[in-house]
Amino acid sequence: MAEKNIILSAKDIEVKFRVRKNYLTAIRNVSLDLYEGETFAIVGESGSGKSVFTKTFTGMLESNGRVTNGSIMFHDVDLVQLKSDKDWEGIRGAKISTVFQDPMTSLNPIKTIGSQIVEVIEKHQKISKQEAKEQAISMMARVGIPNAADRFDEYPFQYSGGMRQRIVIAIALSCHPEILICDEPTTALDVTIQAQIIKLIKDLQKELGFTTIYITHDLGVVAKVADRVGVMYGGQIIEYGTVEEIFYDPKHPYTWALLSSLPQLGVKGEDLYYINGTPPSLFNRIIGDSFAPRNPHALKIDFAKEPPFFRVSDTHYAKTWLLDPRAPSLEKPEVIQDLHEKIEKMTGKGGAFYVDEQ
Amino acid sequence: MINFLKKHMFDKYRLDKDFGKNPEETVSPEEEVAVNEDELFCQAEFDEKKSEIIAAPRYSYWKSVWKTFVGSKMNIAVSILVIFIVAFSFIYPSFSNYDPMDAPYINDASRKYLAPSAEHIFGTDDIGNEVFDVVWEGARNSLIVSLAATAIDMIVGIIVGAIWGFSKKMDKWMIEIYNVISNVPFLLIAMILSYILGNGFGPLIFTMTVTDWIFVAYFIRTQVMIIRDREYNLASKCLGTSTWTMVTKNILPYLISVIMTYISRQVPALISYEVFLSYMGLGLGMQYASLGRTISNYTSYMRGYPHLFWIPVSILAIISISLYIVGQKLADAADPRTHR
Amino acid sequence: MKKGYVLSRLLRSLISLLIIIVIVFILLFTLIPRDNIFFDDPTFRKLGGKPDEKTNYIYTTWEKLGYLDYVTISDYCVALYGQADPRVEAAIEPGSVESVQFREEYEKNGYTVAEFTNKKLYAFKDIPIAKRLLTWFGNLIQIDTPWAVQDPNNPDLERYIKFGTTPTGGLALIGSGTVHKYLIYTDSIFPFIHQNIITLNLGKSYPTFQGFEVLDVIFQSQGEEVKREVTFETGYTAESAIIFGTLTYKYNPDVMDRNKFVDNYANYQTRKNQPSMVGTSFIMGIIAMVLSYLVGLPMGVAMAKNKDKLVDKLGMIYIIFIIAVPSLAYIYLFRYIGTALFALPSVFTVYGSGDIRSWILPAISLALPSISGLMLWMRRYVVDQMNSDYVKFAKAKGLNKNEIFSKHIFKNAIIPIAHGIPTSLAVCITGAIITEAVYSVGGMGKMLPDSINKYNNSMIVALVFMFAGISVLAVFIGDIILTKVDPRISLSEKAGRS
Repeated sequence: MAEKNIILSAKDIEVKFRVRKNYLTAIRNVSLDLYEGETFAIVGESGSGKSVFTKTFTGMLESNGRVTNGSIMFHDVDLVQLKSDKDWEGIRGAKISTVFQDPMTSLNPIKTIGSQIVEVIEKHQKISKQEAKEQAISMMARVGIPNAADRFDEYPFQYSGGMRQRIVIAIALSCHPEILICDEPTTALDVTIQAQIIKLIKDLQKELGFTTIYITHDLGVVAKVADRVGVMYGGQIIEYGTVEEIFYDPKHPYTWALLSSLPQLGVKGEDLYYINGTPPSLFNRIIGDSFAPRNPHALKIDFAKEPPFFRVSDTHYAKTWLLDPRAPSLEKPEVIQDLHEKIEKMTGKGGAFYVDEQ
Repeated sequence: MINFLKKHMFDKYRLDKDFGKNPEETVSPEEEVAVNEDELFCQAEFDEKKSEIIAAPRYSYWKSVWKTFVGSKMNIAVSILVIFIVAFSFIYPSFSNYDPMDAPYINDASRKYLAPSAEHIFGTDDIGNEVFDVVWEGARNSLIVSLAATAIDMIVGIIVGAIWGFSKKMDKWMIEIYNVISNVPFLLIAMILSYILGNGFGPLIFTMTVTDWIFVAYFIRTQVMIIRDREYNLASKCLGTSTWTMVTKNILPYLISVIMTYISRQVPALISYEVFLSYMGLGLGMQYASLGRTISNYTSYMRGYPHLFWIPVSILAIISISLYIVGQKLADAADPRTHR
Repeated sequence: MKKGYVLSRLLRSLISLLIIIVIVFILLFTLIPRDNIFFDDPTFRKLGGKPDEKTNYIYTTWEKLGYLDYVTISDYCVALYGQADPRVEAAIEPGSVESVQFREEYEKNGYTVAEFTNKKLYAFKDIPIAKRLLTWFGNLIQIDTPWAVQDPNNPDLERYIKFGTTPTGGLALIGSGTVHKYLIYTDSIFPFIHQNIITLNLGKSYPTFQGFEVLDVIFQSQGEEVKREVTFETGYTAESAIIFGTLTYKYNPDVMDRNKFVDNYANYQTRKNQPSMVGTSFIMGIIAMVLSYLVGLPMGVAMAKNKDKLVDKLGMIYIIFIIAVPSLAYIYLFRYIGTALFALPSVFTVYGSGDIRSWILPAISLALPSISGLMLWMRRYVVDQMNSDYVKFAKAKGLNKNEIFSKHIFKNAIIPIAHGIPTSLAVCITGAIITEAVYSVGGMGKMLPDSINKYNNSMIVALVFMFAGISVLAVFIGDIILTKVDPRISLSEKAGRS
């Protein structure tokens, strides 16, 4: 993160869904600046709005959802204003691509692997069929498909889950996008395969220099891949900072809770930590801090007024009243107090969660 | 002011209480808070149990079905129409003194083929009978036959289909039986049965259902097979739930909306079937009026005396379509995915 | 696709076919009294005043139809002494030695022996249904050989097979001693090469279409004969509608036959101006089928694309109309519209099969319900596919709505539709009962109900056999198509699930 060119800037994004006759607000005034070349991880539990938020970058909201406020600037284009498929041409799939969670269902079962890669190359680049095929095969080789040329004409069902996710990544990267959105790309895979796919994305990022948005609920993965982390809860980013700041100096009680529930921190023989309660219903108007009802450290003001972002450092901000000078000083829970040492103990490395970065 | 805040805002469970109210109506406290903000920076009490309350309304399946169904004015209108038609076709014939075997006006030329008028609401037919009487008598009989046949088809079909879908051993045999039965022309069976059993309500209902149930069973079997291997059923099976409980508690309730959809098609289909059988001379028999025979008898008058054709067809279409719509809407309402 | 699977699948199909025929035999020959077959027999009615001839006719007919074995005392005596032996005359009289022998012998064999009014004896014995079934299946496939014809009046009949030509100039494999003269021949009529070596024998039609082979009844062209000038092998020239390829052996040729033909092959079929029953139904069915796919599929796609919008709602109204209104009513309604607004013929026979106008209304009437069915299914399949993940990913790839539809959704949605095409084709052959009746089309639709009404049992069995066979075959072909359009499915894998 030497240079800090903002590649994408989302401001005050609000997303609403129409469900029957009600509206639910899935994203509430979220802003985010994405720096070129970084890996930004968005963590949060199911329903916190991680996917919905990033879907607004590619216009992929379900038909009953709409961005009702805010702007997303990408190369002087406000993505919120793009409506039709035609508006999105040249951006979706070309400059901003997505890798989805389930590789088993992301590929069309009755078309060959090759044709599905060629299709996207032909769509975004004006090149001949033969060239497109060559590019596709080289892309397949790049994502680690052995005998790529031979497997070009095979069908998805002839590929394993991990192989399919490699193909999905190949498709997403085949037009050299500037931003790659990975929507829980390893959740549906075996643990052993997970590491391979994560490493593949990291390697390709180094090679091709794209920016990655990594959506996950797995903090282990975050530690491995991210430069910066945003924690989402109840349709808002409630804390963001560099990966070190979030892991070693978290400020928001929700981040505390999230980190405390890392299974790796569990002590043998004791129950694992878990967060009480359920996320807020998005049908309601949320007053105050949306995490307050589940927060054992909640202040009375948390139930009355929504906290603003408090600055912790130049890169680290948190949305909690605990950072207000008037608030009683509260220590983060004991489990995560010496997270640094604990992680060192676990990984046997200098505090870095990072997987072998040869 | 403080009292107001204490009363309203510090109740951390207000989210639950306020659910269902229009958000605009709830007082926004933020401006008022500003003055006293400082006092609020102290620890609030934390109640673990309360945080577990799911901020969603209490859900009752049947209540939701009912609410969804009556939520639409059209549903209510069509339901009333169905109730009216069914009630009328059962009550009116007992006052009309119409006897299909009797033709009291057969020699009265001035009473034949009369167009609808105030005196003869639906006009008169080729033997001077009131079409109004004929049609309602026929509607009652057609309804009895098609409703009874649907009931038998569905009961037998659902029971057999549920077991069939669950037992792989049975599937192997039933598929072959299905292949055989579906390839024996039903007309052949219908004609032979009508020869053996004669005409009348019992024989006709038997003829209509004798092979038809297997199609219902096949449909249910496919549906059961789809749900049978879903994760929650595998989980339920692993927890030792008996097959019977699985079928009745996990699977059939899921199928209610699919079954309703099927029924809503089955009733009109069987009414049409009755028309077809009457056309082939295999219907209820001369001593009973039926919409099917009325229509097939009157088709030849479509040009000369259009009312003779159009009135029974319209009545039948209204009955079929309204029953179909009510069935479809009930099916929609029975689908939990529509409950919100 | 494994060979073993295909074989076992075919075997299972054959077994179901067998069971279907068994069921039909049992229904027809045990549940319906055999007397009923005479209800519509004019010959039988004429015999009203002659009880003996009537009894003889009844039993002869029953024997012909395979119900029983029937022997009269005269048959017995003729077999004993020979056709022209003078002893026969006395032997058949009541009370003769032969009569006593006859009674003893046949009663011992389980026959019922009875007397005509003139006291002459006859004996009959029911043939068990199992044996009838065996006979039926045994005679099902006929293979023509030079030893097929055994004619005592023509002992010099040559027996050979050789190459040659037909009188119309086609190449032919000519047989003598065979039932058919031309075993294989070519001509200008589709499918250009015809064979008579292996034929299906489904019995003779009775009491309707009396004396005809049931297959000939439904497969021969109908209407008026199309005559043209023909020169026969003898050099005799006449106006005739003969189809030379159909010549078969005639046991007692008459003078006219001798004029025309150099040998005993003098039975033939004639060319007529209307297509056969099967042909008529098939042509109409194909037109209707093409029409319904051409209309139904795009409509279904359009409905899915515009789900819950106007197009979808209009389509739904049409589907509900077809479901709720009996076909009889909407066919009449449609015919009324067609004749009133477009001046199309109200019945098929006005212009006949040669005129395109005759086909329009019946074919559209037939297509109405299948259009509604295809719309409903196609809509459902497309909607299902639209919600699938690969469509979401295709969108994320940057493909636009039309590309996603044409390259992804349509191909997936069409799979189950393609599976059903052979069955739709098969249904064309069975004919449409109501449509054909309303428009007076001479197709297959009326055959089954008519045959059942007239107790034409061999026709019923033949029709059921044909329909069931074709439909079983169609499902099988459908499965094969499925393996071609869907790479995930191979038949052997599918075996376990069905």
